[in-house]
Amino acid sequence: MSQVNSLSTDTLSRLTEEFKAAFMKDLRSYIRQPAWLLGDLVSTPLWFFFLALGVTLFAPTTQTSEYQGFSFFFFGFIFIVLFSTAIWGTGQSVRNEQMAGTLEQFFLAPANRLTLIIGRWARIFVTDALIIGYTTILLYVFGGGPLPLYEPALFVFALGLYEVGSIGFGLLFAGLTMKLKSYNTLSNLVFFSYMILTGALFPVTVIPMPFRYVSLAIPFTYFIDLMRRAALLTPTILPEFLEYMASILVAFAMLLVGFITFNWIEQDARARGSIATN
Amino acid sequence: MRTVTGIRGTINALAAIFWKGMKHYTRYPGGFLLYLILPFLFTILIFGMGRFIGGGNATLNFAARTGTTNVLVYEMLGSAVWMTGWVVVDDVAVALRDEQMKGTLEQNFLAPVNRFTLLVGISLTDIAITTSIFFIVVGVTLALTMPGAYLGLIQAFLMLLIGLIPLFGIGFLFAGFVIKFKEPYVFTQMVNLIFGALTGTYYPVTILPYWVQFLSGALPQTYVISNMRQIVLANQTLVSLYGSIFILLALALVYPTIGYAVFKKLERNASVTGELSKY
Repeated sequence: MSQVNSLSTDTLSRLTEEFKAAFMKDLRSYIRQPAWLLGDLVSTPLWFFFLALGVTLFAPTTQTSEYQGFSFFFFGFIFIVLFSTAIWGTGQSVRNEQMAGTLEQFFLAPANRLTLIIGRWARIFVTDALIIGYTTILLYVFGGGPLPLYEPALFVFALGLYEVGSIGFGLLFAGLTMKLKSYNTLSNLVFFSYMILTGALFPVTVIPMPFRYVSLAIPFTYFIDLMRRAALLTPTILPEFLEYMASILVAFAMLLVGFITFNWIEQDARARGSIATN
Repeated sequence: MRTVTGIRGTINALAAIFWKGMKHYTRYPGGFLLYLILPFLFTILIFGMGRFIGGGNATLNFAARTGTTNVLVYEMLGSAVWMTGWVVVDDVAVALRDEQMKGTLEQNFLAPVNRFTLLVGISLTDIAITTSIFFIVVGVTLALTMPGAYLGLIQAFLMLLIGLIPLFGIGFLFAGFVIKFKEPYVFTQMVNLIFGALTGTYYPVTILPYWVQFLSGALPQTYVISNMRQIVLANQTLVSLYGSIFILLALALVYPTIGYAVFKKLERNASVTGELSKY
């Protein structure tokens, strides 16, 4: 069997069916583990409170722009949740099957494995959206105020670009899990570097100059910048039109690179017999 | 079941468990590396956010609330103690679950070593690991920002050692829960985060609501972090902080006693219901 994906996945309806099956499989698995849901419901807002409390020490004692700061951080928190989907959702999908000893069955099924991985991404995206909604309500109840969203259509468009890029990045990471068995260290390092370097929680202008070049070279910096621009009308890094054009190109390039890399690593792992090494 | 008795036998058993843990760390150095890097990353993150909120006066605003302009040392001390708690929760609490997952828990429990020795052996590995984390993370920070503060560093380390005893007690307690309820990773993630939030890792606990401060007061890390900051940043000594050291010593009696009792109770129940080796 030389082809990467099964021949049975050659129609759109078949792909949709596989995607739905993968989504439902992951949703069932999530619902069966109430600890995961409980953990998400408790940990997600707690992370926000924890970091926000640390930051309040730096705020002016006579705060007047508290509301804008709150919105900025809250959107930053949303960007972090979204990125965690790429790292621990899409990226870890292969590793999870590997650990459970079901990766061979997964890869032998007459289904497109990319559809299966994207099915997992979709499940996590849906549950993340619910958790973000729940946290928004929780923070509102605790006096955080309503979140502004000045240009919703542009926000959704920028979010779409972010997700296209993050699926590509997640596929790259999913491929890496077949190469690297100590996945957690790498994923944690990438995750925390993302939090610092992409301007998720503070503008990139705060980052000192030699390091700012690194920030500006990361595609997620621009996806975040555009989403924040749409939500809060903050200034963009590049001229807005140029930033949209560049982000569209980069998002689809990331998807393509992720797809090619994943297939290449999988082929290599199959040849070496290292796919299911735990 | 006959178990190893006598000082020599116990020391041999402890040494074997200790070296097993150390081998695990040296074979998988990524985890240790993460414990070293995370305090720096979190501190940079908090400081970056703070700079955005506070602008040019961020450090002065910070000083007005904490009494020090040395943001880096203040935050790194909190981070280092937080990582210490993280190591203990991840290792002591999850170690037995890991054995369960690998199918080796029964061999461990059938070995002629009592459970307390087993838990203390795991804790010894963690003393070595947390000591390394402390000296690398805090030592580097002090060497860069306060090169003359070596006496403070030693006193801060002694404070950490006292605080580790009740922390291991909490670890024993969680080890029992993990055997009973399985699924430790969600649990440890939540516990680590709650510890970080309640113990004043990046802020003084006095900014928390009063009822939350009451919970903070029950956690040893709260005293360790606060006292370390007093020692390193306000030139206090262990002697002048005797009040909170007595509290830590009291917690050092209470937590291991309760933790081990709960662990034994849950372990006994699990062995009766056949849950010990459930995957």
